[in-house]
Amino acid sequence: MSGSGPPAGHPSAENPPAAEPGGGRPRPVSKLRASGISISFGGLKALDSVAIDVEPGEIRGIIGPNGAGKTTLLNVICGIDPPDRGTVWLDGQPINGLKTSRIAARGIGRTFQTTKLFKGMTVLENVMTGLHGKMRASPLAAAFGMRSVLREEAEAARRAREVLEFVRMLEFADDEATSLSFGQQRLVEIARALVSEPQVLLLDEPAVGLSLTRVAEVDELLRRIRRERGVTILMIEHVIRLVMGVCDRITVLNSGRKIADGTADEVMADREVAEAYLGAELDA
Amino acid sequence: MRQLFSRRNVVAAGIVFFAVLPFVANPYVLFIGNLALMYVLLAVGLNMLLGYAGQLAFAHAALFGVGAYTTGLLKLELDLHYGLALAAGVGLATVTGLAVAMPALRLRGLYLALATVAFAQATLWVFTHWNSVTYGGAGFRVPPLDFEPFTSRPDVGIYALTCLIVLASVPLGWNLLRSRVGRAWVAIRESEVAAESLGIDVTRYKTIAYAVSAMYAGTAGGLFAGMLGIVTPESFDLFQVIVHFCMVIVGGLGSIWGGVLGAVGLVGLQEVLRAFRHLQEIAFGGLILFTVLVIPGGAVSLLKRYVPGWKEPLRRMEHDE
Repeated sequence: MSGSGPPAGHPSAENPPAAEPGGGRPRPVSKLRASGISISFGGLKALDSVAIDVEPGEIRGIIGPNGAGKTTLLNVICGIDPPDRGTVWLDGQPINGLKTSRIAARGIGRTFQTTKLFKGMTVLENVMTGLHGKMRASPLAAAFGMRSVLREEAEAARRAREVLEFVRMLEFADDEATSLSFGQQRLVEIARALVSEPQVLLLDEPAVGLSLTRVAEVDELLRRIRRERGVTILMIEHVIRLVMGVCDRITVLNSGRKIADGTADEVMADREVAEAYLGAELDA
Repeated sequence: MRQLFSRRNVVAAGIVFFAVLPFVANPYVLFIGNLALMYVLLAVGLNMLLGYAGQLAFAHAALFGVGAYTTGLLKLELDLHYGLALAAGVGLATVTGLAVAMPALRLRGLYLALATVAFAQATLWVFTHWNSVTYGGAGFRVPPLDFEPFTSRPDVGIYALTCLIVLASVPLGWNLLRSRVGRAWVAIRESEVAAESLGIDVTRYKTIAYAVSAMYAGTAGGLFAGMLGIVTPESFDLFQVIVHFCMVIVGGLGSIWGGVLGAVGLVGLQEVLRAFRHLQEIAFGGLILFTVLVIPGGAVSLLKRYVPGWKEPLRRMEHDE
């Protein structure tokens, strides 16, 4: 019996811990993984078998022409648009099918292409809203102003101020949020998504419409978010300067399909990318 | 001199005014004061759903009616203690509010408005046509209340009870709004998608908004039945819906004190115009128009302008400045 057949239990290329096409090297579990994501809106195929795999601590960029399905991919990940087919995993646990609020509670934060700060609230109140899922006050306890509720509120305000300091917006804490400049609103929105200490941050064009100085600030902020808070970032961005500078890897979408995936240099060298994305821009 | 109009003094002056009223006013003025306080409850509750949670729902007058009918009928038919009848009225109004919330959670904007108007009309139809229970279009008389040994005058008794309930429930609402519940409501009003993405269970918090505002409406209804002594369907018709909305908008959408100001101000206006009944609706329409055009933040934004230190959570309107 002994000696015949492959050695069982022996770590080798035959027995990888997770099936990874194209690599026998054992890898840690991805922070965020999606595979075979397809979704249609009334006959229009917005995403067609898209896969993405983001490692812990990575800053991943998603680029592609308008209508490529970038925002739809973020919406699928955070549960706003449930996919027709495919699965999304966070730390190896499937999360698709959960409500958006449940997915947020699992540790996925999100900002939007058009900032959605809440009107009527101050900057501080906006950021405190981001802690909703971390707070426990029941409506009854809150109505009676129980001591535990007041303590929790004070703690929430403290954490909100801490994160506002982190994005350098603390001096605006008591201003009405929507009275701020566009760039400042973006920073507050990032703070609001960060305050609950998510594992993954989904950013939809954080630098769109910002001046070059502001873009450099966002670049620096994203690096600090990763370094000091250990957050994995997946972001859509059109500002090439930011994407090329800060992203470890870039995923390129076109017409709902993934056409390339790699480092900035690899992606830029890709012929299909040049045709679909940059080519289209040059023609315009 | 300006310190005289500090926030605390303004609130204290209001409380003193209503506390002194039973000792100085004639029964008619006392009744008007009672009506104003009852509408304060109604407007504060409606403002939570409409102004904070941003749900354009018209079911409030019907829930107000459910509270009034339940309280009045239990007192009339079973001779239940008024306190118990009132509690039952609040309970049934809340349950009805939750029943409205179920389908309403799936609707937004105009569709929500239409569905809740339909609910209000259906409820009115039941009040008018379920003769064997509701006594139909003519309504019914509620047996006189008895507040012995506290006072021999029922009108003073119900006035005092209304005062106490207002003094308790306005601060409760205030606490609720400055907690994560209030923030969740405003988040839902501004963007349901953003609210969900921050971990707010939109369905749950909308349901809470419907339930809480129904509780306020039911309480107001039960008190209304007690103080008026007669319950008729016309107290809960669509014109009443307009009156309630007018209170909230003129006082200030999304403001606790706006609800208070709107209720007191409009009850006062209604009394001034009582001699010219046909003018009421025109005056209300004009007032809404005036508010929207001239002071879009409502009367409460005047308080913010003239009373130093006047601050409310979840309310930083640029046009208030």
